[in-house]
Amino acid sequence: MRSVIFLLLCCSVLIPAHAASSGWQTAKHLQAELISEYRQVSAGQQLQLALHFVPDEHWHTYWQNPGDSGLATSLSWQLPDGVTVGDIQWPVPQAIAVPPLMNYGFAGATVLLSDLNIAPDYAASSIDIQLQADWLVCEEVCIPAEAQLSLTLPVGSSAVVAADYAALFQQARQQLPQTLQANGRFDTSGGAFSATVDLPQPLQIEAFFVAAPELVDHAASQQINLQGNQLLLQQPLNTYFSGVAPQIELVLVTADAAYSVQLTQAGQGAAEILVTQGQQRDSALWLILLMAGAGGLILNLMPCVFPVLSLKALSIAANSAQQAQQQRDALFYSAGVVLSFVLLALLLIGLRAAGEAVGWGFQLQNPYLVALLVYLLFALGLSLSGVVQFGLGLMNTGGALATAKGGKGSFFTGVLAVVVASPCTAPFMGSALGYAVGQSAPVALLVFTALGLGMALPFLLLAFVPGFAKVLPKPGAWMDTLKQWLAYPLYLSAVWLLWVFGRQAGVDAQALLLIGVVCVAAACWLWGRRQLTQQGAATAIAVLLLLIIALALPALAPKPTVDNATAQTQTAAAHWQSWSAATLQQLRSEGKPVLVNMTADWCITCLVNERVALNTDSSKAALALYDVTYLKGDWTLRDAAITEYLRLYQRDGVPLYVLYWPGQPPQVLPQILTPDTLSQTLARLSRQPQS
Amino acid sequence: MKLHQLVLAASAALLSLGLAAAPQVGAPAPDFSVVDSKGANHKLSDFAGKNVVLEWTNHDCPFVKKHYQGNMQALQAEMQAQDVVWLSVISSAPGKQGHVSGTEADALTASRSALPTAVVFDESGTVGQAYDARTTPHMYVIDKAGVLQYMGGIDSIPSAKVDDIAKATPHFANAAKAVLSGEKPDPAITKPYGCSVKY
Repeated sequence: MRSVIFLLLCCSVLIPAHAASSGWQTAKHLQAELISEYRQVSAGQQLQLALHFVPDEHWHTYWQNPGDSGLATSLSWQLPDGVTVGDIQWPVPQAIAVPPLMNYGFAGATVLLSDLNIAPDYAASSIDIQLQADWLVCEEVCIPAEAQLSLTLPVGSSAVVAADYAALFQQARQQLPQTLQANGRFDTSGGAFSATVDLPQPLQIEAFFVAAPELVDHAASQQINLQGNQLLLQQPLNTYFSGVAPQIELVLVTADAAYSVQLTQAGQGAAEILVTQGQQRDSALWLILLMAGAGGLILNLMPCVFPVLSLKALSIAANSAQQAQQQRDALFYSAGVVLSFVLLALLLIGLRAAGEAVGWGFQLQNPYLVALLVYLLFALGLSLSGVVQFGLGLMNTGGALATAKGGKGSFFTGVLAVVVASPCTAPFMGSALGYAVGQSAPVALLVFTALGLGMALPFLLLAFVPGFAKVLPKPGAWMDTLKQWLAYPLYLSAVWLLWVFGRQAGVDAQALLLIGVVCVAAACWLWGRRQLTQQGAATAIAVLLLLIIALALPALAPKPTVDNATAQTQTAAAHWQSWSAATLQQLRSEGKPVLVNMTADWCITCLVNERVALNTDSSKAALALYDVTYLKGDWTLRDAAITEYLRLYQRDGVPLYVLYWPGQPPQVLPQILTPDTLSQTLARLSRQPQS
Repeated sequence: MKLHQLVLAASAALLSLGLAAAPQVGAPAPDFSVVDSKGANHKLSDFAGKNVVLEWTNHDCPFVKKHYQGNMQALQAEMQAQDVVWLSVISSAPGKQGHVSGTEADALTASRSALPTAVVFDESGTVGQAYDARTTPHMYVIDKAGVLQYMGGIDSIPSAKVDDIAKATPHFANAAKAVLSGEKPDPAITKPYGCSVKY
């Protein structure tokens, strides 16, 4: 060791006094050199000094916030009077994972820049710079080390650049994060570091580095959301968090650049910075449209839609000879589908603009609309069973399409397809469509248009791409059998809606609706007989009367009394209570953990989640163990308070699950729950430090 | 649409995986069961009614060496005199720096004249992660009721230089003395410094 020091001493003696470099100092696994930007300086000048670190391969040094372990490099300068030096200008760090720990540092060579200021009245002929550098260099093991580096710069009438090192300084400056003049605030309430930054332009931030040590849990995942130009960041607090300066530096990293922003601590009583789990992430518009298109395509397979449309598809296949007419039909059909969806979107946007608290799924929140859908699905089922023939060219099979009713028929087939699809969209795509409606009006219209195009796509393909029609089996007598089989998915869809209606309006109303269903059956049967025998007007009047009775019956249904509803709630309330904003507020202010479940009877996902994840013995045990109050909000019928609550979490549909743990930000659980989601989340929340 | 939901569910699952347990000052310290260098089993609950110090260590770590120049032994002697249980915990995984056998651990204790109640092994890192131990040294003080009272650094100057010990504020020693006299340590949480624990 001594000989090394001796050698080093010899080296420094050999270096000319006016060199811009201190010469390399070799320590274990790292070489260090101090360099000046100028080899001759002048009074009043500001220049930069660089500490150049070259560690061995795979070894790294640390950033100003070294992360969970590690140690930031520290510099201590000895300078003559009249000469001052600034803080280290840190390059953009890298995240160095040492599971379960996370460090922030620099793998490979690093240049740490510092500004040197020479007073205008500096009179001596040279400047002696003494630097003591302390660092920790680690691979897996760590070696703390220090070095004394010295540099003597001659002072002349003019400054002379150290040309040999110009490239090094140039490169080092490029490694610095760009200063971003942006308004940023941060908050440490609720067990998490949360920040908002108003960016001058939208930036795709991939990661962020908080310069304050022991502030964030470095190994925990970062939530980064961009809403317009506002960036929302969140990361759980560090276990060793014990306070923070009112102003901190934040480094934002994009794919090809990095920015430095100053954040100031949000004052007391500032609005809770609420960042939910990725819900607000702005997806690219094309991706949303693509997903909407795919969703529309999937709609064709829904039990309420598939029977109707598959027959239409087969009839097209049967008529492959008349291509021109098919193409015209497909276009009219697509127009019908797309326009219907756009109309639905406009209705929704209009209602919301008028201040109505409605979300997607609203079509199932009105019992009368549900009753009409029951009739429609049932009547379509009867038609498939052969009881009655409807127009519109919809139910025709085989050569019957030859007598096509033209574009009008196809257009209304499209409208009908959307109407029968609407009960299916709510449970399966409610939240996603709700999200679309929550965007700006043009975006919402685009999304619904994409949905319609996706739904119409199979017919457009059949009509315009000959290869697709050829794939379909040849028409024949089997199609009539298939048609009769396909009636049953429609009957089952009707039964499902009947159940929803029953939950909404009570068992008495359901009985009335069933009488209405019988009336529809009778009307269809009579009409079918009339079609066969061409009987007179008497039958037509009877059919009309029956239909009027059917339509009137659900409207006549007695409203279930409030007592009834609460009694129902009480009996079922083995482990939950009804949600109300006031109850939730009160429980939270008492510091009790609360689980909120927003559900609706027509929401299949909600029902499945409750069955497999919430009403299980293990979840009940977890709720009891952590003394969690379980509040359930029912959105089966319209409820402005619940719609308002959903909007608070950027949702426009159910399900929504929110866990409130005292001293923590609200946790939004995923929309698809697994049996362990609840108990695991509770176990994790109960372990987090309270602030 | 389904894809959207799946992505959300997956990211939520990742998030919950990413969160490790966190110890909490003022809350019961996580219980553990460990084997010491002599093969004896120790549980935290065995020491109910006594104050307990946990010291994460790795004899090859320069920061540990700094304090074993005399500072750590002095603290151990002081705590022993006050009937405090001192457990030196080695969480180094097999093959990693600081991992030793029971015999080697005893030899190290003898050669350094260290005075821990026991040197215990946590090869799996379970105990270290339950306490969120990050560095060696990393100090914890648990009171007679089993409540965690202090966690953090041994002192205030994060360096490997022995000279700095005298200049630093002895956070751990202050906290231990506060707990012994029935007071709450202030600060009760400090920044740990040293080598990373070799999990």
